[in-house]
Parts: sequence; C-alpha cells; structure tokens
Amino acid sequence: MNILVIRAPGTNCDVETVRGIKECGLNAITVHTDKLLEGSIDLFEFYALVIPGGFSYGDSVRAGAIWAAKLNSKLLNSLRDFIDDGRPVLGICNGFQVLVELGLLPGWNDNSTPSVALAPNISGKFECRWINLRVANVNNVFLRYFSKNSILRLPIAHSEGRFIASKNILSILEKNGQIAFKYCLPNGKPADMLYPFNPNGSIMDIAGIMNPAGNVLGLMPHPERAVYFWQLPTFPSNIAAKTYFGDGYWIFKSMCDYIIEHFQ
Amino acid sequence: MRNRGIRQGVLQVKLLAADDEELLKLNSQLNLNLSLKELKTIKKYFQKLGREPFDIELYSFSQLWSEHCRHKVFRGLILDENGNILVDDMLKSYIAKVTEELNYSWVISFLKDNAGLISFDDEYSIAVKVETHNHPSAIDPFGGAATGVGGVIRDVLGVWASPIALIDVLCFGPLNTPYKSIPKGIKHPKYLFRGVVKGIGFYGNNMGIPTVAGAICFDKGYIGNVVVYAGCIGLVPTVKYGFWAKPGDQIVIVGNSTGRDGIHGASFASSILDERSEEVSRPAVQIPDPIVEEKLRRAVIKIRDEDLASGITDLGGGGLAVAVVELADRIGGGAKIFLDKVHVRESNLLPWEIWISESQERMLFSVPKSKINRFLETVYSENLEASVIGEFTRDRWIRVYYFNNLICEVETDFLLHPPKIVRKAKWSKPILVESEFEEPEDYGTLILKLLSSDDICSREPVIRTYDHEVQGNTVIKPLHGFFAGPSDAAVIKPLNNSWKGLVISVGLKPWYSRLDPYWMAASSIDEALRNNICVGGRRIAILDNFTWGNPEKPDRLGSLVRAVKACYDFAKGFEVPFISGKDSLYNESPLGPILETLLITAVGIIPDIRMAVTIDLKASKNPLYLTGLTLPELGGSRYMQIIEHDGGSVPKVDLKISKSSMNLIRESIDKGYVNAVHDLSDGGLGISISEMVLSSQYGAEIWLDKVVSRNINRDDFLLFSESNGRFLVEVKRNFEDNFISIAEKLGAVFSKIGYTLSNNCLLIHGLKGSLIVDLSGDDLRNAWKSGLRA
Amino acid sequence: MVKYKVKVEVWLKDNLVDAEGKMVEESLKDLGYNVQSVRVGKSYSFNLDLSNDSLVEKVVDEICRRLLANPVKDKYFFKVMRYEE
Repeated sequence: MNILVIRAPGTNCDVETVRGIKECGLNAITVHTDKLLEGSIDLFEFYALVIPGGFSYGDSVRAGAIWAAKLNSKLLNSLRDFIDDGRPVLGICNGFQVLVELGLLPGWNDNSTPSVALAPNISGKFECRWINLRVANVNNVFLRYFSKNSILRLPIAHSEGRFIASKNILSILEKNGQIAFKYCLPNGKPADMLYPFNPNGSIMDIAGIMNPAGNVLGLMPHPERAVYFWQLPTFPSNIAAKTYFGDGYWIFKSMCDYIIEHFQ
Repeated sequence: MRNRGIRQGVLQVKLLAADDEELLKLNSQLNLNLSLKELKTIKKYFQKLGREPFDIELYSFSQLWSEHCRHKVFRGLILDENGNILVDDMLKSYIAKVTEELNYSWVISFLKDNAGLISFDDEYSIAVKVETHNHPSAIDPFGGAATGVGGVIRDVLGVWASPIALIDVLCFGPLNTPYKSIPKGIKHPKYLFRGVVKGIGFYGNNMGIPTVAGAICFDKGYIGNVVVYAGCIGLVPTVKYGFWAKPGDQIVIVGNSTGRDGIHGASFASSILDERSEEVSRPAVQIPDPIVEEKLRRAVIKIRDEDLASGITDLGGGGLAVAVVELADRIGGGAKIFLDKVHVRESNLLPWEIWISESQERMLFSVPKSKINRFLETVYSENLEASVIGEFTRDRWIRVYYFNNLICEVETDFLLHPPKIVRKAKWSKPILVESEFEEPEDYGTLILKLLSSDDICSREPVIRTYDHEVQGNTVIKPLHGFFAGPSDAAVIKPLNNSWKGLVISVGLKPWYSRLDPYWMAASSIDEALRNNICVGGRRIAILDNFTWGNPEKPDRLGSLVRAVKACYDFAKGFEVPFISGKDSLYNESPLGPILETLLITAVGIIPDIRMAVTIDLKASKNPLYLTGLTLPELGGSRYMQIIEHDGGSVPKVDLKISKSSMNLIRESIDKGYVNAVHDLSDGGLGISISEMVLSSQYGAEIWLDKVVSRNINRDDFLLFSESNGRFLVEVKRNFEDNFISIAEKLGAVFSKIGYTLSNNCLLIHGLKGSLIVDLSGDDLRNAWKSGLRA
Repeated sequence: MVKYKVKVEVWLKDNLVDAEGKMVEESLKDLGYNVQSVRVGKSYSFNLDLSNDSLVEKVVDEICRRLLANPVKDKYFFKVMRYEE
C-alpha cells in the first residue's frame, strides 16, 4: 500500500517526509508533479497523498500559487474524487499553502477560488522555531492518537504562514470543527496572537485546518522534523524519558493506521 | 593559426610590438587586471607562437591567472626586508605540510578538489568547503551573499556530494556607526547586515539545506569591507567520489543559461573597493536562482548514482574558461570547445563573454559518448537545460571555436602557470601602551552590559531566519535547550541507519590581529577545536579562510605570513589536518585595510549522537569545574572593548595545557561523567557561566578564589580574561572522583570553582569573599536577548 | 484577434500589516528620509490575445483571481491597452 509524496521544483522536505511515513510501516514514494500531469502515473494507485514542504517554483507570485495552478489545470477533478473516496490528503507547510490555493481547504465548494489565505508573517521574516500547539479536534484521520487539548511540540519554518479568513468563514470553520490546531503557550493557554508563541500572526492562533470530512489536513508546522527523540530541542535531556518518538510521528502513524484499517 | 577568415565578435589585439606602457594601457582598456610581468610573459608566449592574440585569449589569462583562481600570493616567493627568503609557497610550506606530515588515512582529499574530503564511516565520506564572498557582498549584499552560498553548494556538488549543512560567518562594521562617517561608495553596516542575512537565508532555505552554525562579529575594521564566509558540508558514498574522464569524453554544460552577469568576477574579487566600485562592478554581481540549483542538486545525485558521467566541476570564478582548462589538466590533455553551442540568455553575447561569464547555477560535466543520451534525459527530467559544447583531447591544447572559427589556441600548461610572484613582507610588533584602570564596582551591571553587546548577545534574530531543521537531521541546533541558549557546535546525524554524527564548529578571533596575527591564528584554531570538543567531537579536520588587505604592501603581507606560520605550528601541534581553504586578499577601502581575519572551521565526528553534550545545566548540587589556566590576557578582549581601553596581552596558546584540557573533556564525555560543557571564549568566565545559566532552569554559584590563575589579583581579570584552552564543566556528582582521576592522569590544569543550584540564578563571589554578582536567570536572558536589532 | 498590453498591480489589503513595507520604511528613516505608510506590492505586465474585444476586463479579472492575487488577502488593479503589431 503506497503513499504518494509529490514534489515540484523547489520542494525540499520530501526525503524526511518519506522517512517519517516509512517509520509507520507503510511505503511512500516521491513523484515529480510533471509525471502526474503527463498521466504516466495514476493518482489512484496510491492510498494517500502528501504534499510536502519547500519553496515550490521559488514561491513565485505567492507561496504555493504556481504549484496549485499546475495541479488545478489537469488534476483538480481527480483530486476531488480521491478525497471523496475517503483517501487522506496531508499538506505540510508549502503543501498547506497549495491546498488552500486549490480550494481543497476548507473544502466547501466546487469552485477553486480560495476562501482563506496564508499571508506573509507579521514579523516580515522567515521564522524557524519550535512552537507549542493545542489540538482542537481529534475526530479526523490524522489526530486520532491525541486527546483533545493535548499540547504538541513541532517546529515551523516559513515566511508565509499567517492564516487569514473573514469573520464569517472563521465561524463556519469553528462550527464545523475544522480547526485542527492552534498555537499556544507552553502551558497550553491560548497564545492570543503573542509573538513568538503565535509565530506568524495567524488569526485566532490557527496553525492548521481540515476539510469537514476530516481526511484533508493542512498545517504550517513540520511533523517530519519531530519524528524521533533526537530531533527535539529537549534532547539530550529527554533520553532519560525513554520515549523514542516525537509528536510528529503520531500524526503520520494515525494516517497510516487509518489507511490500513480502511483500505486493506 | 589556421582558419584565417573574418571572425565574428573577435578582436585581434596588437601585442607583439607593444612596449611596457602600451601593455599597461591595454591592461586597463580590456580590464585584464594582470601585472606587467604577467603581460610580458604573455607577449613572449605569443611571440613564440608567431601571431597576435585574440581578445578571448587575453581574457582567458585574466581569469586563469587571477589571484582568485591561482592563489599567486600563497604560492609566491616571499622575501624579508633584506631580500632574504622568508618563505617560498606558503600553501605548500605551511598549510599542506601539516596534512602531509600527519598523513592520516581518513583524509581522502585535501587542498586539491572543489572541496576537502574526509571519511565518515566505511561507506561514506564528508566533503567540506568554505568560500569567501566579500567583494560581491559589499556591492550587492543580498545577491552577493546569496550567490556566495550558491557557489559553495556547487563546490560540494562538484565532488559528487549531497549537501547536508551550511554555515555562515559574517563580519560587519558596528551597527550604530553614524551615517555621516561613512565614505562615499561604501554602504552602511546596517544595510549590509540586513541584505547579507536575507541573502543567506534566501538561498539556503530555498535549497532546503539547514544552516546550522556560524558566527557574526562587528568591528570598525569592517566598515570599509564586509566579510562573508559561506560554507557547505556534503555527504558522498566514497566509491562515487572520483574522476574518470578520458580524451574523447563529451563536455556538457548544465543549468542556467549563460548571460552577461558576473563578467570579470574572478578578477574583481582581487581588486580594491572604492567610490567607483559600484558602477564598474555591477556586471560582476551575479543573480541568484536557488530553484535552478535545487534542480541541479537532484540531477547531480541521479547522475552520480547511475554512473552517467566521468567528471564534474562547478562553474565558479572565471566561468567556462577556468572549469574547462582545469578539467583538461586533470586528464592530462586539452579540450575542444564550440562556444556557439552554449545555451545563452541574450543573443548578442560576445564569444569572450560566454567564455568567462559567471552566470550562476551552472555545472560542467564530462560524459562518455556511450552515456550521453541517458545523461541528457536525466537532466531534462529535472526541467534543466543542457548543451554539449565540446570534448576533451589527448594533446595539451585548449582550442575554442565560434561558428567554425578557431578563436583561441593556447597550451593547457601555459594557461595554468602564471609567472611566480616575488613579494616583500615585513611585520613589526605594534607598540601598545598598557593602560591602567580601576576595577569596576558593579559587576552585575557589567555582565548584563556585555551580554547585551552586539558581539555577545543572542544571534536569535538572525538564526531564526535560517532554516536549521530542514532535512530533519539536526541534533544539536544553533539555539538549543529549554531556553534556546547558544550552542558551541552543531551536531548532524546524516545517516538513517547509524548513530554516528558530524560535529561542526568555527573559531574566529579577528580582534587579536591588532596585537599579533600569530596568536590570533593560534587562538582561532584553539577556539574552533574547543567548540567542537564541547559537544563530543573528535578526529577533527580543519579549514582555513583568510581575509586580508592588499598583499602588495609589505606590512599586510608580513602579518599574513605570521598568521599562516601559526596555522602550521598549531594545526601540527594539535594534530589536526587542513583539508581545504580559501583566501580573499585586497580587502581595502578608503578607510584602509580590513581587520585581518582568519576563520577556522572544524569538522569532527561523534561516534554516537546520544552522547552529545549541550551547554545548559542539567541538575542542581553538581560540582562545576574549570579546566585550563587563567592568565592576565585581556588584549583585544570583549571586556577591554566595552570599557574602551586599548592594549593588554594577547591570549596565547599553551599546547600542553590546551591539549590536556581537550582530552579531559573528550574522555569525560565518552565515559558519561559530565552533564554540560561550555568553552570560555568571548567575555571569558563571566560570560560562559552566564550563558550556561541563561540556557537552563538551574543556577550556579562560583568562587573566583578557586580559579587556577597566574599573576592575577583582581576580579575583573579573572572574570573576563580570554585565555585559551579553558572549559567550564558540570560534572555529575556521583562521578566526581572519576572525573578527577582522569584529569590527574592527563596532567590537566583544573579546579572546582562552584556548584549548580536549583534556583535559576547566578551568584559569583569575588577574591575578597563578598558576593559580587547576584543575577536571576531572567535578568541574564533579558539582557542576552535584547541585542542585535537591525 | 485583438491584442492587449496588460499591467497588473497586487497589494496586500490595507487592513493587513505589511511587514516588508515596514522594514523598508525603517531603512529609509535610517537614511534620513521622513517617509510614512510604505507598502510593497508586486506588478506584472503581459501581452494578451483575445478573440472578442468586450471580454478583456473580465478575463484579466479572472487571471488576477485565479493566480496573481488571493482575494482573501490581496487587492489588485489592472490597466489594459489595445495595441497593433
């Protein structure tokens, strides 16, 4: 059972993303977007799609915009069928930006005009730091191994991650339970826009959202960089705790186990 | 020369009958940057050939004989004031000599390829290269720094290695320099700082290579010229490293199209900046495109893994001219090149411009004829452009054609052997008046002031703009621990199936140059090694990067010789080989020469990353030990700078004390006796202990009368002396006896100076027994994190 | 076939903090210029061929919404000009 990790020129997190998935017992392969567009590779050979981080097409126009336009031109309908079939789609960082640009997140309507946006960070800078996340909803494919309100530690690394939506859109997101994570303080209290706990100025501290069905997730933090204990900033003190995996592992594990449960 | 038709875009230059004055006039007309001696050598060569040269041939010499490409000063004959030989060929006599004499089996390639190589394990090797990009960054800080990073990544790709880490070391004028005091044509340090930092982040982040270590320093000696060092570390299966090209193999250029950017970059890198630099140098600045380089990386690795090429090199300084000639030399032959085959971005390029253009993101390959189709397919599948532009030949001539006309025909050997330069050097010890000053009264305030100074404060505002986590293998990060304190070195775990790690650190002590460049170099080596050893590094290899003033002036060259001599003495003394290096000379401005700067980069290994040690205190009630000897060495120290006093003694290196200290730390880490280690560096003991406390949730209490010192009877000297060879260590209390017995066995200088506390605070008792520092962790953190706002 | 030259400008909406603009503003102040409200935008120019003259505004608007701007965060303006070859 293969998972597809697609890449484009400028994608640079595919190797560690594949490694994280393989650690959970499923196989993952990286395929260039051109191969999918040519039709030489069929999306439906795969049970999940992961769009990894990077600077696809050099972030021209806007982060994710060109990649989304390429996918939009030939693959949008297949992607919608893929999602309707219940197969998981995970967008990490640049992948989140792509899902937003494609309209697959929040994933409400059939037109592909985005209804939310990821704007340049309010600090005006690229930000690479470990942040705290509070899990807002666990009823989905990716966060089943966490309990609601548990606090995760994951790193972010982006310059366009400020989540923006209108009040109206935000209230629908909240009502539908589509907010996956929010940035928080180390003690779990809301970051309330406080920098650097909310590292980019995202409205309502939103770090990741999903579609109403819970099989499409987009998030700015990088789970593939928090798979093992030795990747965490608490290393080497955390050796004593003897927990081998970091929080990122459990996101991949949840997705992989879901696939095994539903498609085998 | 055959083929005597009209040659498109090519000028014949009247050289054979030119006298010295005319030669020099030609030199400046064509912007060749050659010396009279070199021009005369070229004239003689063409007299022998019996024909006038074409412009493209002269431009070839301009590039291949540039200081940037041939290291003429390091390779030259240097005389003292009386005309006696001081040293012949510093590279051979000092730098390479260390590595040759040590003769380690784990050094795979040194001072030869685009990058140095050491073995990592049975299967893999590590490639390392550090470049300077000072001149371009002074003119265009964003583009200059970005292309510096791009260039050094291609150096590593140029030995078939996959880039796994970047480092950068930057030196600027003080950020608060008044705008009015800056001469015309020179940019303000703040502008340069912002641009350079942005450029480095832009390239490294886009490429997806983590920037894991580095340094930033400020000094008025950098107002006129900035320093931008960019380094790259790569991983290559050892069997894949090699060069198999043969005559008949095709020469293929891959990547960006060739344009007019970067024309004369290599000769520009060896000229002096002034008011005119901006206009004249604009074409020398290159335009960065990291996404093309990301595609190049994928292509290079695929070509390597499928054995589709017989040789590779990057197109760096001097462009095609330099790359083709150097590759031809490596196969012991020559080359035939058809310049009209090169893919270009402007149709009106002259042939010589194509030949020496330094357009970025291009690599040159030699490909056996039988593999050319598969090679090109692989390249095209990454959306890259490529052109087959010629082939290598058995005879040792470089022949360049443009639309069937032969426009350059020169011997490979002649192109690679400029006449040896002979230079005079003189160094006289500066006369420094030892200034006397009172001991300060308020040590708490002084420590906070030092912590918040631009030289010592947290580099967080810069480090956070570089992705140091991408690739997911960064174990010890540049900011680490509960409060993200400063790390001495970075640790990378490059292989999925092995716990073995790579340790990367730097040493940089430019301020000591004003006192004595010899001890500046020695201190830089000591610091780079100390930093590496702090986290658990060993089997260390080092790289040298010199940034100096105009070597045609005897005083500049005199101090350079002293620094290079120290490199031999101390690398040999510490038994660490040089594997690569690069120099940038002619760093001068209307404000005078640059502050003479040597960067030492150290790359070590750690057998198991799970034993790595960080600087943050890990528990309370553990003993704190200081190793090494504290001397009244405050010359060039951060303390003297902040109280604005000159003079003092430069820190020296006592090999015996430093080595026993280093061995003690290494052995204690291996045995698991220590919880935290930090070296004593800028700001001395006072700053090191502060950094250990501010990084952690615990505190420390120390007594200055317990410090092993000589000729010191004041608290400020004990706290802020920058003597080399010292470490501060949190020893696990149940292993204290074991630690002491190793220290005694090694004959190390050491003493217990205090304990860790459960409260996050710093208490220091002075020589008179009273408490002279009482600060909370928050005080220290707030001060340390307050600086570097630009 | 009708030929147009098109210029598009894309700006972050006024109610959103433009961090790059702020940084430019600071730098200009450092240089001694008394500037305020600096904002940074992107501009695009391209030639567009259309079969029907009346469509042009609609098509360029679509181009903006589908790629050049994200209407959630960006505002955009464009100018079109007919030309003959």
